Amino acid sequence: MTKLTIFIMATFTSPENIGTDPKSMLWLLPLTTAVAIVYKATKLQTITWKNFIKEVITLLGSIAVFLIITALVLYAFAWFTTE
Amino acid sequence: MTRNSKETHLLFLLTVGLFSWLIPGGGYFLLKEKKRAIIIFSAITLTFCTGLYIGSIGVIDPVGSKFPYAGQLISSPVVAIIGYHTSGGGYNVYGKPREIGQLYTGLAGMLNLLCIINAIYLAHLRRTKTTGV
Repeated sequence: MTKLTIFIMATFTSPENIGTDPKSMLWLLPLTTAVAIVYKATKLQTITWKNFIKEVITLLGSIAVFLIITALVLYAFAWFTTE
Repeated sequence: MTRNSKETHLLFLLTVGLFSWLIPGGGYFLLKEKKRAIIIFSAITLTFCTGLYIGSIGVIDPVGSKFPYAGQLISSPVVAIIGYHTSGGGYNVYGKPREIGQLYTGLAGMLNLLCIINAIYLAHLRRTKTTGV
């Protein structure tokens, strides 16, 4: 086995260092992208790259906006109930 | 549809489902939907590998987290092989990396479930369109 292969395999045996700060919420973005890509790949009748990318970006944007609105509503609710 | 052709149809649907589970997007590949198969394979595999990278292979824990493991197992039989190696408890992972890792790998499984069902449905539709039954 080459050194590179061993190095790549080793990265999968120890966890990454992720804090509990608000920045860790950004890990949701790649997840949302995966959902949008797979969902659109199953739903579109015919896949042309241009149309597919447009549809994925639209869905990704709407999911992100919905998540942001939900977060703001929950934050406001928490603020009103604790202040 | 005669009984024999019904059985053949059922067998074909099972094969499509099995291929979709063995390799994400494999069912679409059988249905000659190569572009769709490549996109799904890349997206699901990348999501799964990202989960393993973030939380290490310890996020696949058939002993300590049976419920997430069931979801992860849908993404590929490879999960069972990894689970066999991690069940000894040598790759423990805690906190946020475990949470995010399980979220990624579990979601990869759920997305593959969606693709398995969709591929089987597509195979069924094609058959009924060609036979008219």
